[in-house]
Amino acid sequence: MMQLINTILIGVTSGAIYSLMAIAMVLVWRSTRVINFAQAGMALLSTYIGYELIQLTGSYWIALPLAMLAGALISALIELLFMRALLKHTSQGPIASVAPIIATLGLLGVIRAMIGFIWGNQDLILRGPLSNVGYTIGSTTLVFSPLKLFIITWVVAVMVGLTLLFQRTNLGLSLRASAHSPEISRLAGVRVDFIRTIGWALAGAAGAAAGMLQTPNGIGSIFPDSLEFSLLLVFGFIAAVIGGLDSLVGAVIGGLILGLVVAFVLTYVGGSLVFMIAFALLIIVLIVRPQGIIGVKAGRRA
Amino acid sequence: MNGMNRRRFLATCAVVACANLVVALVPAQATPLSMQAGVTKTEIRLGMTSPHTGAASPGYNKIPGAIKTYFDYVNANGGINGRKLTLLAEDDQYVPTQAVAKTNKLILQDRVFALVGTLGTANNLAIAAAVNPGRRGVPVLFVATGFSGFSVKKNFPTTFAMLPSYIMEAKIMAAYIRDNFAGKKLGLLYQDDDFGSDALVGFKQAGLNFDVSIAYASGAQGVSGVPATWITRLQSAGAEVVVLFGVSSATGAALATAAAMKYGPQWILGSVGGDATTLKAIGVPVGVLNNAVSSSFLPSTTDTADEYVKFFQDIYLKAHPTQTFDNNVLVGMNTAFLTAQAIKAAGKNPTRKSLIRAIQTRGSTFAGAGLTPLNFSTTSHVGYNGFWFGKYTVTGDLKPTGGVYTMYTTDSGNGAIVKSTYVRPAMPAKGLPN
Amino acid sequence: MHKAQKKQKKQKKQSNHIVLFIFFAFAIFLLSNRVDEFRVYQGASVAMFVVAIASIILLTGYSGQVSLGHGALLAIGGYSAALTRNYLDAPVWICFAVAILVTAAFGAALGTAAARLSGPYLAGTTLALAVGLPSIANQFSVLGGEQGLVFYVGFPPMRLGEDFTQYKWFFWIAASTALISMWWLQNILRSRYGRTWRAVRANEVAAELAGIKIGRSKVLAFTLSAGLAGLAGALLAMTISHVFPSAFPLTLSFLLLTGAVLSGITTLGGVIIGAVALVAIPQIADAIAIGLGNSENVVANLPGFLVSALLILTVLFVPNGPVEQMRAKRDHKIAHSRKL
Repeated sequence: MMQLINTILIGVTSGAIYSLMAIAMVLVWRSTRVINFAQAGMALLSTYIGYELIQLTGSYWIALPLAMLAGALISALIELLFMRALLKHTSQGPIASVAPIIATLGLLGVIRAMIGFIWGNQDLILRGPLSNVGYTIGSTTLVFSPLKLFIITWVVAVMVGLTLLFQRTNLGLSLRASAHSPEISRLAGVRVDFIRTIGWALAGAAGAAAGMLQTPNGIGSIFPDSLEFSLLLVFGFIAAVIGGLDSLVGAVIGGLILGLVVAFVLTYVGGSLVFMIAFALLIIVLIVRPQGIIGVKAGRRA
Repeated sequence: MNGMNRRRFLATCAVVACANLVVALVPAQATPLSMQAGVTKTEIRLGMTSPHTGAASPGYNKIPGAIKTYFDYVNANGGINGRKLTLLAEDDQYVPTQAVAKTNKLILQDRVFALVGTLGTANNLAIAAAVNPGRRGVPVLFVATGFSGFSVKKNFPTTFAMLPSYIMEAKIMAAYIRDNFAGKKLGLLYQDDDFGSDALVGFKQAGLNFDVSIAYASGAQGVSGVPATWITRLQSAGAEVVVLFGVSSATGAALATAAAMKYGPQWILGSVGGDATTLKAIGVPVGVLNNAVSSSFLPSTTDTADEYVKFFQDIYLKAHPTQTFDNNVLVGMNTAFLTAQAIKAAGKNPTRKSLIRAIQTRGSTFAGAGLTPLNFSTTSHVGYNGFWFGKYTVTGDLKPTGGVYTMYTTDSGNGAIVKSTYVRPAMPAKGLPN
Repeated sequence: MHKAQKKQKKQKKQSNHIVLFIFFAFAIFLLSNRVDEFRVYQGASVAMFVVAIASIILLTGYSGQVSLGHGALLAIGGYSAALTRNYLDAPVWICFAVAILVTAAFGAALGTAAARLSGPYLAGTTLALAVGLPSIANQFSVLGGEQGLVFYVGFPPMRLGEDFTQYKWFFWIAASTALISMWWLQNILRSRYGRTWRAVRANEVAAELAGIKIGRSKVLAFTLSAGLAGLAGALLAMTISHVFPSAFPLTLSFLLLTGAVLSGITTLGGVIIGAVALVAIPQIADAIAIGLGNSENVVANLPGFLVSALLILTVLFVPNGPVEQMRAKRDHKIAHSRKL
């Protein structure tokens, strides 16, 4: 019984973190039809900035929103200065499907190298603001701690914030409209280019949050070639694809499914094939629904 | 073929030909043939490949710097017979194809005298087979892997091991567990590759069975939520003594997660992932190490009463004031220390043959920080062959059981485990090869 | 034009190609005698990359499907070749053939699933495959775990002489394999299938209306591309004499994609450029890093920075590759001069 509860808790917490990364991937995909592999690097850079802010202010609580802001700025700048030119150049032919992938991979390499130049190839320790020691019920300890509670709350807050933004504001309407049909939106007077930048900025903030939250929940350190961040990207992307790439709700559902399936298989079946589990899950979902769980057929483009 | 197509095709051909020409015209470094490759009047050039970048690089990326630091120290004190030792360290990102490509460059283009401290099992296997230093006669000194195969002289005629093998470690650990924790429920976490399977071989040979054993894929420790599943399984199986036979990042993730779940069995950490300084550097709160058992073949890195540790630490921290002195650094510096002695022992004008000969005939007498003898001979390329056990204090110092290093030695086969009576020779004056 | 004339012309075209390829082969093999062993080894790697990049160009450039998991296909080819060699003691060319067939069969299965998926979904699936597949090797002892399997192609035949090095033998095998596959691929691309792919690439809807079965055409491209990838995997295994799970990391899949973009994703003609770049650029970057580096941080990270920056500049300024760029420039010039 205890093991079952703990497994669910593990799945939900890690699922929440995959979801954040998936949300970042979905936001970028919706606004520019780009799979952003640099998201891992951008999240890492934001987390490094968060680390510096913690050193400076002594407070994780101040650093977290500022790191998200930094993530948003970095992301917006990349879109403005680089992706915009790139997408104009390469909008036609087979290169259109590959160029953004290559470009974001290149960006990932550049960002990682710059982190290495500035902070060096060594681990930096980033501690969370809350204890990660689990709550105790009777004599047993849950895999659920104040830190994990905070992570889930924060993910929910980001989700609610984004939903409100998308559903209740004019900006949100423009975001949805230009994701759905950029040309018509342009004709209707939406500043599509500006809206795209906003999409990237939101993604940058979500990615930064994922980095700032996972680091203290994980082993607690950052490194230019961080394995944790690379895998966060891979699992976030898989979660986004499972969910259907066009949908924020799908990203969260995809993240939770992935988190729970991985936790249950590793706990009850065992084995070391965590990466094959992710692949098998993806294949099964896509065989049943080629457009992902929430994806819309009409949304299949590019 | 119409004119356009033909022209296009010819153009392609021309490009190909040019590309090949460019490749062909880049001059190879000319070395006078009379000299031994990599040895000049003023320099002895050595090469190594290891991960400087990439996911496997944390910790290991300090080894080239550690080797260079000791070489610089030797060079500042006159070198070896007037020759400076230089190390060309190449980044292989822990990928065998890269290791082979870079080793080819080192041997064929840079014409290094020997390879030193090459890291990783797969990488070393690929280098041995594809570059074949054995056939080329290039010595491979003190490979940084505990895979027992490399000390088999028949297969790797020019390769010398330094680290005791994973099999030796598991055998000795099994004996330690039987002596100290008989009747307890045993758990094991191991990496699901050669590193872990060698350990399984050792445990099996020693007849030790685990009540619960968990394999993890290399890299899986970085996936959010995975370490927690290990701990819930160990916990619900009721394991009282748990062996962590993994790399530092997996060991650290397991320890940190267990602490968060208030699960505190008696930990036994393998020597690869059990170094407190490395664990601290990657973020493991040092308190969770308290009372954990670990083992090493070198003295504890915090034991500054040990003359080697003190000496290595002094020169390393002088050259790298912002770094920490950890087990990777100690292993690297000891590798450099043995290398310098081997080159000195190879004579006034060392050749690759005389270098190999020197290690085979005199290697067992080399000084070094290791607490067991080196087992080099004309028939054996085994380096150190034993371990001592100790417990971590609350500050992360590994203190040997009973206050003194008690060494147990064995082999990678079914040989017995023996309490060693070996007395380590004193460090040569000023830490220079004599 | 009469049918007979047409046929004659076609035959002439084919034979022209063969002559060119033979001329080509001759030039390369002559070169291999003039350069040192290290360059010969690099030549073998270049030949391996030629096959691997051609596989990506066929899939992405011609059939419009994106694979982020080609490294996994190379792994399947490498392991098939090694298993065939070790257990059946088969001659090398049979190992290569098995590598092609097994990987193509896997590619056909994956391609059937893939044909239903649009771009990013396929990218995600293949990415997950690239991350997951290598870890399988640790599950079955027949695959040798992290220590992998040995794949020796054997020593060069004695009649080639005493001085004929192992690497030159690697190079001869790899280069002739690469030449034959390029010749074959060139012919496929000029055949009915090639035209079909180009039609689908240009306009999926129009092609469908013209009676092309898009799904089948995509599966065929995936199958052939996988076969080439399998062959490249066997060549890769040859150059390191082993197969290991760690020899096929995710970065390999990305590297091949990079090579395809440097080559020009829509033309087979530039494939050698991409292949040479993949081998030469890291070495040049290393040399620059060592030349410029004054601190460990710089020396360690500069190569990665340079390679990535070059990648960005390429997609920004020469997105379709140097060959296509030159052609576009020339076409522009011709159009311009005609106007005058």
